[in-house]
Amino acid sequence: MRGLVALLGPAKVLGTRDDLLLYEYDGAVDTATPDAVVLPESTEDVATLARFCHEHAVPIVPRGAGTGLSGGAIPVEGGVVVSFARMARILEIDVPNLRAVVQPGVINLHLSNAVAPHGLYFVPDPSSQKACTLGGNVAENSGGPHTLAYGVTTNHVTGLEIVLSDGTAVRLGGKAIEDEGYDLVGTFVGSEGTLGLVTEMTVKLTPLPEDKRTLMAAFATMDEASETVSAIIAAGIVPSAIEMMDQLATEAVEAAVHAGYPLDAGGILLLEVDGPRDGLDDARAKIETICREHAATEVRVASTALERERLWAGRKGAFAAMGRLSPDYYVQDGVIPRTRLPDILRLVKDAGARHRLRVANVFHAGDGNLHPLILFDSRLGPDELERAKAAGLEILTACVEAGGSITGEHGVGMEKNCYMPLQFRSADLAAMTRVKDAFDPAGLMNPGKIFPTPSRCREFAFAATAR
Amino acid sequence: MSATLARAVPANAAECGEILADATRNHRTVRVCGSGTKSYVGDIEPADVELGTSAIAGVIDHVPADLTVTVRAGTRITHLAAALARAGQFLPLDPPHPDDATIGGVIAANSNGFWRTRYGGVRDLLIGTETALADGTVARAGGRVVKNVAGYDLDKLLVGSFGTLGVIVEATFKVLPLPAASEGIFAELARSPDVFAAAHAIVRGASPVAACVVERGEGDTWRLAVEARGTASAVRRAIQDARREITVRHGRAAELGDDLGRLRELPARATDGALVRVALPVAATAPFADTAAGLETFAALVADAASGVTRVHLAGDDDAVIQDAEALLLAARVVSGAGRVERRGERLRTRLPAWPQRPSGDALMRRVKDMFDPAHVLEPGRSAFA
Repeated sequence: MRGLVALLGPAKVLGTRDDLLLYEYDGAVDTATPDAVVLPESTEDVATLARFCHEHAVPIVPRGAGTGLSGGAIPVEGGVVVSFARMARILEIDVPNLRAVVQPGVINLHLSNAVAPHGLYFVPDPSSQKACTLGGNVAENSGGPHTLAYGVTTNHVTGLEIVLSDGTAVRLGGKAIEDEGYDLVGTFVGSEGTLGLVTEMTVKLTPLPEDKRTLMAAFATMDEASETVSAIIAAGIVPSAIEMMDQLATEAVEAAVHAGYPLDAGGILLLEVDGPRDGLDDARAKIETICREHAATEVRVASTALERERLWAGRKGAFAAMGRLSPDYYVQDGVIPRTRLPDILRLVKDAGARHRLRVANVFHAGDGNLHPLILFDSRLGPDELERAKAAGLEILTACVEAGGSITGEHGVGMEKNCYMPLQFRSADLAAMTRVKDAFDPAGLMNPGKIFPTPSRCREFAFAATAR
Repeated sequence: MSATLARAVPANAAECGEILADATRNHRTVRVCGSGTKSYVGDIEPADVELGTSAIAGVIDHVPADLTVTVRAGTRITHLAAALARAGQFLPLDPPHPDDATIGGVIAANSNGFWRTRYGGVRDLLIGTETALADGTVARAGGRVVKNVAGYDLDKLLVGSFGTLGVIVEATFKVLPLPAASEGIFAELARSPDVFAAAHAIVRGASPVAACVVERGEGDTWRLAVEARGTASAVRRAIQDARREITVRHGRAAELGDDLGRLRELPARATDGALVRVALPVAATAPFADTAAGLETFAALVADAASGVTRVHLAGDDDAVIQDAEALLLAARVVSGAGRVERRGERLRTRLPAWPQRPSGDALMRRVKDMFDPAHVLEPGRSAFA
């Protein structure tokens, strides 16, 4: 602590108990208190602190806005939390090359707002986009509702400046679509702060679509809604977003946001198509027909930008609205092949019932990316969270058995690192370890994340040996 | 290579791993070969073993409703395309050597075509891999679902790794419904500023096109090939818009024949002199093309106006070709692009290295290579860092 102050000055280092408490949580359920918090203002600051930590074998945990949903920014093994709150400048907007160069602390939505006058936007739009940072998006390879057609963060990053745990700054890629050599940009994105610290990034900007059509379709059951999703894809239509919500989620959203979703619907789809104006109405009409063929009780098309925003406000505000239903929730992020939606959704419901917990579903149906929100009340005792986690594990196990993944966009973090052997064999994890050792041989970058740790994962050892 | 001592054709991932483990133990170098379409890449040296992937072939699982396909690496992309087409779908990759290229080779060489900006490149469409590593283990990465952030994205690491980190044996891709319509135009414009202004207007237009490629061959004219794919109304609109951008610049637009196929094949045709391939920030493409067209040994240029990937064929006197190739790579670097000498005539092989400059991040790349292939048996000389 004193060493850090001497190197960086007192204005960039926090160490009082009150200060540290503010950095012990993120958007998920786990907490741990850092030994110190550093607020670097430049790549040089980051390199200096990394060298210091390297010399003293202190763990380094990068942090954006703390909106992460897998405990990625939690210093589970202590050490220094590096907040990028003061490295939050948009350095360049390069319209001819459709690129922006930004610091990691820039808020996702601020970038899209800044480039909107040029008719451009940054595609990944996680629900937390009003708060989450682009550096955090790179760490987690964040998605959002519109990734179905346009891809996730990794598809929109072409260059990075990173600082390794030994303090070396490395530039990878740039404004061109690719660089020579290994695609270390692609390897780094989604590494959850375990390979290095991002100090600058070059991202793609995309021309705003000429127009959009947004539809809300209500169904009596989630099964009908799920089958509609498959039918739309089978008809050769790839909408820019297909979101689904169950009745419990709708109830919360309506109470909080008043998006105008029908409260009596068993399942609701929010669909969007965008692109050149020609053809949009054809696509909209086809989707409407498919919805009605699958017994939609109501199909509403947003006719104004305001109506569209209102429909979307319901979806984007859904997690925050859960407070209307329950003091706490535990959100899961499993992925399945979208054809398996109906049976896995039934299984999600059963898992909740088995653990005597309510589960609300609001998720990216087009991608098969589930977000069961398992509702619990921590005031009733520690058993509540434990039951929520047990239900979550059952859901993730089912996702993997269906050929899917334990996380689609929230990351593994410290929440699911013990579950990695569900999805990957030891040879697969060993290959990942090679990458880790190449970037961070000292093992100081965000320890205790992604990879199973012997101390915390003992009870899950069965999974690793079973495979 | 004639000096290759042994040829191995494993039937599956496990056999492939055994061959690699044996090579590592005995310090025998390995060349990996799909159908050999890109054997000209890199500064390769004779290897001890040539490992062919032709027996690891076939579609494993195509789930049309999930828009995914899992395929063995030795499968030719033509075979995969035929299998997908039966379900009305396609893998939107249009790489060079389309008739013979294999899936594994396309991934290993990051072999993209002109559809890249519209549909994404290999790195964007690949969602899962299985790879035999130098120690004989077989590692899976990614999966069969379209969205997945569990663990490191080793798929990305393999794209463009040229077999230097392991042998890809299986891959899963996102696929798409075949478009209802497609149409193209091929235009001639007299001046380079016009052709690039038209190209950029078309690429930025409200109606996205699938391909927008500038060509300059013999003679003084510049040509522009545009292809639109999608719903009938979107295609009609895109072609209308493209035609307007061309005619306002006094270009003459005709219907597109197999021009894109011909332009894709530049790497196959450029057997003499040098073929320089660069990836540029898109706005730098026009001045770069002007520089190229003014060179003494300039023979042909194909520039993907949407992605900034540009190939220049140089031919003529050896010394002049070398000088021009180096000048082009320097010009690319000045605008923070990157590139390589993708192909050279036999005489230039020893005189003109494939990568005269080291990529940024070189030291870190070497560490990655060392971790995956500590004995350096995989594809020696194939890439700048291995």
